[in-house]
Amino acid sequence: MDTVVINNITKKFEHTTAIDDLTLTIPTGQMTGIVGADAAGKTTLLRIIIGLLCADSGTVTTLGYDPARQKKELIAQIGYMPQKFGLYEDLSVRENLEFYADLKSVDKNFDELLDFTGLRPFQKRLAGNLSGGMKQKVGLACALLGDPKFLVLDEPSVGVDPISRRDLMRLVRATIKEDTTVIWSTAYLDEANSFDNTVVIDKGKVIFHGPPETLAATSADFEREVIRLMGGYEEKESQIAAHYIYRESTVEYPVEALNLLKMYGNFAAVKNNTFHIRKGEIFGLLGPNGAGKSTSFKMMCGLARPTDGTAKIMGVDIRKNPTLARSYLGYMAQKFSLYGNMSVRENLEFFAGIYGIPLAKIKERVGSIASYFGLTVYFDQLSEKLPLGIKQRLSLACALIHNPPILFLDEATSGVDVVTRKEFWCHLRALAKKGVTILITTHFMDEAEYCDNISLFYQGETIAVGTPAALKAQAAAATMEEAFITLINRKDAESGRL
Amino acid sequence: MTTRLLTLIIKEFKAIWKDPRSRMIVTIMPIIQLIVFANAVTMEVKNIDMLVLDNSRSYYSRELISHFANSPWFNSVAVVDTPEQLKQSIDIQKASLALEIPPDFAVSIKNKTGASVQLITDGRQTNSASIIGSYATQIIQSYAKELSGSEPRLEIVTRNWFNVNLDYKYYSLVSLMAMLSMVIVLLLTSLSIAREKEVGTFDQLIVSPLSSTEILIGKAVPAQLLAWLLTMVMLAISVHFFDFPLVGSLAVFLAADFVALLALVGVGLFISSLCRTQQQAILGVFTFQMPAVLLSGFISPIDNMPVILQYLTYLNPLRFFLVIAKGVLLKNMDMYHVLINLIPLALIAVLTLSIAGWTFKSKLE
Amino acid sequence: MRILWAFIKKEFLQIFRDPSSILIAFILPTLLSLIYMYGINVDSVNINLGLKLDDANPRVVSLARSFSNNQYIRTKVYDDKDAMYSDIVNSKLQGAVIVPNDFTVTLNNGRTAQILVITDGSETNTANYVQSYASGVIYQWLETTGYSKQQVSLIDPQLRIWYNEKLDSHYFILPGSLAVTLSLVGILLTALVVAREWERGTMEALLSTRLSRLHFVAGKYFSYYILGICSLLFNVFLCIAVFDLPFRGSYIILFLVGSLFLLTCMGIGLLVSTIFKNQFLACQISLVMGFLPALLLSGLMFPISSMPAFFRYLTAVLPQRYFVSFIESEFLAGTISDIVLINTVYLSCLCLVLLFLVYKNTLVRLEK
Repeated sequence: MDTVVINNITKKFEHTTAIDDLTLTIPTGQMTGIVGADAAGKTTLLRIIIGLLCADSGTVTTLGYDPARQKKELIAQIGYMPQKFGLYEDLSVRENLEFYADLKSVDKNFDELLDFTGLRPFQKRLAGNLSGGMKQKVGLACALLGDPKFLVLDEPSVGVDPISRRDLMRLVRATIKEDTTVIWSTAYLDEANSFDNTVVIDKGKVIFHGPPETLAATSADFEREVIRLMGGYEEKESQIAAHYIYRESTVEYPVEALNLLKMYGNFAAVKNNTFHIRKGEIFGLLGPNGAGKSTSFKMMCGLARPTDGTAKIMGVDIRKNPTLARSYLGYMAQKFSLYGNMSVRENLEFFAGIYGIPLAKIKERVGSIASYFGLTVYFDQLSEKLPLGIKQRLSLACALIHNPPILFLDEATSGVDVVTRKEFWCHLRALAKKGVTILITTHFMDEAEYCDNISLFYQGETIAVGTPAALKAQAAAATMEEAFITLINRKDAESGRL
Repeated sequence: MTTRLLTLIIKEFKAIWKDPRSRMIVTIMPIIQLIVFANAVTMEVKNIDMLVLDNSRSYYSRELISHFANSPWFNSVAVVDTPEQLKQSIDIQKASLALEIPPDFAVSIKNKTGASVQLITDGRQTNSASIIGSYATQIIQSYAKELSGSEPRLEIVTRNWFNVNLDYKYYSLVSLMAMLSMVIVLLLTSLSIAREKEVGTFDQLIVSPLSSTEILIGKAVPAQLLAWLLTMVMLAISVHFFDFPLVGSLAVFLAADFVALLALVGVGLFISSLCRTQQQAILGVFTFQMPAVLLSGFISPIDNMPVILQYLTYLNPLRFFLVIAKGVLLKNMDMYHVLINLIPLALIAVLTLSIAGWTFKSKLE
Repeated sequence: MRILWAFIKKEFLQIFRDPSSILIAFILPTLLSLIYMYGINVDSVNINLGLKLDDANPRVVSLARSFSNNQYIRTKVYDDKDAMYSDIVNSKLQGAVIVPNDFTVTLNNGRTAQILVITDGSETNTANYVQSYASGVIYQWLETTGYSKQQVSLIDPQLRIWYNEKLDSHYFILPGSLAVTLSLVGILLTALVVAREWERGTMEALLSTRLSRLHFVAGKYFSYYILGICSLLFNVFLCIAVFDLPFRGSYIILFLVGSLFLLTCMGIGLLVSTIFKNQFLACQISLVMGFLPALLLSGLMFPISSMPAFFRYLTAVLPQRYFVSFIESEFLAGTISDIVLINTVYLSCLCLVLLFLVYKNTLVRLEK
């Protein structure tokens, strides 16, 4: 018997169609992965399956119930972990667990669960003070309470490093019973191969459904196949880079970190961090959550003051002359921090203005950059109403509006679909070729491959620096992900020996 | 520098103006509040319901009662027969004044020996009670004078300057203009930084070449200008629809308003730089605003407060501004005295703005 | 029952860990009570009075002395009329009294003498006090002089003020201000709580458990009610034990009606919060609904009966209005069944309507 049977459902919101005539069955006792970019319809689909939303048309049967009418009966047999994990940040781990155990009216003996997830030492800590990876574990533990027949996990691995992602997957596999059905949604295509069954969703439609190996054997091939299913991607010459005007300078290392140190009380978040980035180099900061890479990144752009050491941008100390140093920077953050209630044009004009483009030239500059970025059609739309991929492009346009010689990208590709990501990287590579120096942080291991050099962070220190090939060689690994895991495990083993 | 700052200021204006909710908060809401409160807020006592226990039932007692009934302050005059009824009606607040006329009232008046009557007011509303009491006493005395027939030997001629009929509205309009523009300026400034922090655009601003001073100025100017404009609109409404007499110099008033708003902008920015979320910012605004209103001299004169509280009011921009506003708008106060109040106001502004700048910078690290 | 209990326990943990709930429930009310107690005084006003005596007769000097002997009046004698006038304009004086040069002559001749009282009408309320203080002093002085012999008033009004013999306005302002402070606890805090569940994504988690709509509404009401009632008891304790106000009513009735008032305020807060699901908006609305209307329209500072009819009706939807009326009476006059009853009926109606709306608007799914 199938756990979920969906026939021709459609769900529309105010402006968009989230689910478009979708039909799907999910077999019992298997782990099904739902893979798709943000806004592809994953979350809406999961919510319809468990009855948090109702479809506009079509039928859904979950565990033999109609979720639209029998939500109460259905919910009792489901373990659900929503996207933000549903934890109360001002409650401790144990209090969260007890609360959900009470709501589900199950036994409050968490010993096994706490040991298994490795949360026992943290059970008194407030959930809000946990790292992202830990929160996920607590959220998962809450969903697992009461041995649900059907486990629904909405993006449990979002924003998490490869090690924690593997941990999480192992945890779920180990805890569930044989006949438990699991749905696991994710934006990472490279996870697709770890499921029994994979469903790829794009624009509210299923574009692939079946065991992943029937599509491709490796995750790299899988990605290629998905791109094909999404309509293919053709690499074109980057218009953005073509119109970028590089200003020559004599600075050899546009970005330099010299002995950066950041202390929080007695705890060193970043120790002795030194790197030099050549002109036109793409430099990646990698590392598990909480390893100190975002702190380093923040110190580099002046968002955090280093306890010791200097960060230099085009040879200028960012603490001593922030206005000059920052004028060389293009910055793009993971949330695509745009002003939602302003139009594309207004956002561009704003960033043009604060980066010192003279008033008389702003209009012209905004017009031309919009045309290179293909944003002219969206010119007068509010930026919050744009599709995610366009938001990302706008965000990049804003970062590049003043022709900066340096670009800082903080997880700038999280959540966008694979085709958009490919396109984005095409622009970055072309820009680097023209001489733009790029510093980037990412959780996508395939993106790490595109970098010229990588610095691997762990416990506040750089544990390895080099080209992707060199790192893989150092770890004797075939993929970047394996290299990442091996190098970190090796470091753990070393410090264990000490 | 100018382009950067100008761009930021324009963006802030748009951020306030493009959101229909915040547009409503800075435009329609204060104006509605002005109109409602200006009509409702009065310490005058009108529409009084009164009771009479007439034990005399004579020509004189009826005359006295009709004096009450004909006065403009009274809404109704009801007659009761027993003291118990009288007590009950006062108890349940059906009437706020009772007049008890003794049985020998008429006889005493005829004999010119002097009669005494009882006036009872409801002390649960102490303030109204004493005002009603004095109205009633006046009515009785004027009737007594009529009866004695003699010309009064002494006449007190009263001149109420700047507000001939002592219309409470003028007073409350000035105070409301100040309070409502204060609420707006505090809300706009305190929430704007907290909101950017929540949405994540704040980092984007910090990473840009804008200096922290420029960011603060960019946040301050739109709130300042909007609130200033709002005061002008409210003043125009007051003059137009409430016959508010504008006797002094508009320019001086607006200049003082500008300085007062600047001081409040400083407070708002200070709250804003301390808070990480909008919720904290709102609580901060509340904690400042409530004492600021109560200790401004609006509800109760500052001269009457204990000395410690009087010193505390020296930190309250609203206090100085209310003196200037009433002085300039209603009384055409001279420049010297305007300055005496304007200088402390300016000092408060300098103080709050520099504290805001300092906390903002130190919190950035 | 276990579910409800767990939910309430969770709410309490959150209340205790959130400093803002303690700030609003206890610290802010204490601060405001102190201000109401010591900063607000509407019974008597100290005034600065200018005197210009154009008549040099010793009798007039004694009039001047009567003025300066009054405890509320500080006098300053002027020779120059213009100097005195400008001091009124500049708020140094709240009023002035001018005695004309023919004052005693006129009185001696048996004609009506005039005396001029000027007030600063821009301070409207103070101006009223100036008028009544000045006429009080003048008439009293007149009786002590020989002029008023024939003037014994035929009718002597004896004013008695029930329930508040000392005419101390704090006796009614402080209990009444509880309506303002409690509505903060009731409206502002609760306005935040449901919105917060939506914004932080925990609402979705709750909806996917067996927690029912009834559990949710009951749990929220109950937890914040307990916080509010603690705040109420704390404030009543402040009034009675610390500020030494008389309390003539029944604690049980105060507790019951106070509870009803709190539940009504919480209804407003929860309704705003459930409808808007957004802390920012919820705050703004409670700001507009909360402080200023509660202070200005509840009858606490300004008598409702003096408002124009339309605005009088407008106050009917304010729960603070009923609570102010009830609590002043309960403190000063004791329990008067009609007053308790009528305010209870109105409050109950508001409370039930709000409860119904909150329940109706609480969702069982992520959408309607």
